[in-house]
Amino acid sequence: MGLEVALWRAVTVYRFASLGYATILMINTWHIYTRPWLGWTVLGAMGLWSVLATVGYAHKGLREWPLLIADLIVTVACLLTSAWVVPPERLHAGSATLPMAWVASVVLTWAISGGRRRGVFAALVIGAADLWLRGGVTMVTINATVLLLLAGFVIGYVVGLARDAERQLQRATELESATRERERLARGIHDSVLQVLSLIAKRGAGLGGEAAELGRLAAEQEVALRALVSVEAPPSAHDSADLRESLRPFASAHVELASPATPVVVTSLVAREVTAAVASALNNVRVHCGPSAKAWVLIEDETDAVSVTIRDDGPGIPAGRLDEAAAEGRLGIAQSIVGRMRDIGGTAIISGADGTEVELRVPR
Amino acid sequence: MTRVLVVDDHPMWRDGVARDLTEAGYQVIAAVGEAKQAVRVGASLKPDVALVDLQLPDGSGVDVIHGLLAAHPTMRILVLSASAEQQNVLEAVKAGALGYLVKSAGREEFMEAVRRTTEGDAVFTAGLAGLVLGEYRRLAATPASGPAAPQLTERETEVLRLVAKGMSYKQIAERLVLSHRTVQNHVQNTLGKLQLHNRVELVRYAIEQGLDGSES
Repeated sequence: MGLEVALWRAVTVYRFASLGYATILMINTWHIYTRPWLGWTVLGAMGLWSVLATVGYAHKGLREWPLLIADLIVTVACLLTSAWVVPPERLHAGSATLPMAWVASVVLTWAISGGRRRGVFAALVIGAADLWLRGGVTMVTINATVLLLLAGFVIGYVVGLARDAERQLQRATELESATRERERLARGIHDSVLQVLSLIAKRGAGLGGEAAELGRLAAEQEVALRALVSVEAPPSAHDSADLRESLRPFASAHVELASPATPVVVTSLVAREVTAAVASALNNVRVHCGPSAKAWVLIEDETDAVSVTIRDDGPGIPAGRLDEAAAEGRLGIAQSIVGRMRDIGGTAIISGADGTEVELRVPR
Repeated sequence: MTRVLVVDDHPMWRDGVARDLTEAGYQVIAAVGEAKQAVRVGASLKPDVALVDLQLPDGSGVDVIHGLLAAHPTMRILVLSASAEQQNVLEAVKAGALGYLVKSAGREEFMEAVRRTTEGDAVFTAGLAGLVLGEYRRLAATPASGPAAPQLTERETEVLRLVAKGMSYKQIAERLVLSHRTVQNHVQNTLGKLQLHNRVELVRYAIEQGLDGSES
């Protein structure tokens, strides 16, 4: 609640400073007023209300409609009483009303309590009263109203911004504590469940038969669970992504991921398209080499480009087959990968020496 | 008989590994679950090979590797981890581990890795090759303030990329028309240069911080 508290304090300071100003004015000019006693009474009322309002607004629960409306009514009343105190010809000429700049405090209060709409509304009410008092709109009389409107709008706008900023900070804090909790869970799971699962996978594979099948299932669950509890770094910027994080979900008992230890930062568009291309390449591996084929995904961060290579241990593609298929216009998945890469200014090279290899390359 | 130290905080896993090793003819001289204890035991018993988990309750496996090699520089260390923390794996091999294997690796793959570690050969998975490749690129891209960053030869880069794509040394040897041993040497060199650079950096850092004893 940093900025809001500071603003409430500032309004209090303003309220008393402007009260002091009105008092000085009163001392200097009371002898020319039509009813000086009424002027002093209004000044007393302003002082009393300043104290009451300060105490009221200091309580968060009291910053509600009743107090706000009372503030506005008291202020308008003090302002309108000027008609019976200050000589009309002086008012028409644009000279000061009784409360002077003190009327702006209610505009500021309304703006702080509820943003620019409330600020502008309060300014309009005070402005209307002021214009009635001065008997019409002239260059001299409109000035104060315009300034009030401006103050109400600007302060209200700033408060809106501050509230947004505070809300975002709050969300960031929540996210951080959620991440910390996730890390704690991940540690716990790592120490127990993952270890046991990998042990089952290892032992099962050694025993063979049905146990091997159980081991394989345990290995898959281990990878899935590890991916689930692996803590992702919160997104740093809106339009960039770590390619390693985008591709991590593909890791499984059959797919091994190799990447640098440091983030591979690309735009989120590139991350999305490359992820989709990797998904269809891996899907292709399943379709053509069977569910038990192994595949490797290598992410490389070169100075001028980012490359991702998907390789499987299947039979590969005989030389010339690819050109043949392309000539006949049936390349299917390969075609879609090449198209995707071309759309983001990259390339896809498909070769088939030791298993099929798809190399995606996007220049920086 | 090869004497092995097993460092892992999970008792079930520790026992399983120890049993596998004993059956395969290794002598498991100790199996411990904490980092400090591991360094102490390792320094006094001086095993030939240590299998180290990266996540330990009272410290990181990287510290254990530093401690073990400080006490016994010729010890051969294999990192076994379920951890997906790639930075830790990289730090471990830079600290001097000969290789890295995921805990979910099959029994045969595991025994092969231990055998190769015992012989002093690097144990590279595709994942580790990707990390090492990335580290060389990172070193090349960041302007070095100290000693010149190590660089890979063209052939080493080529070999490392093929390892990172999951190819076996045999397949790589066939594709590049090299002997199996040459491929193994190239892989070993990539790791050796990185470890040397890391040691030089550590010494330089120690001197800068006045930790070498030359200042009071």
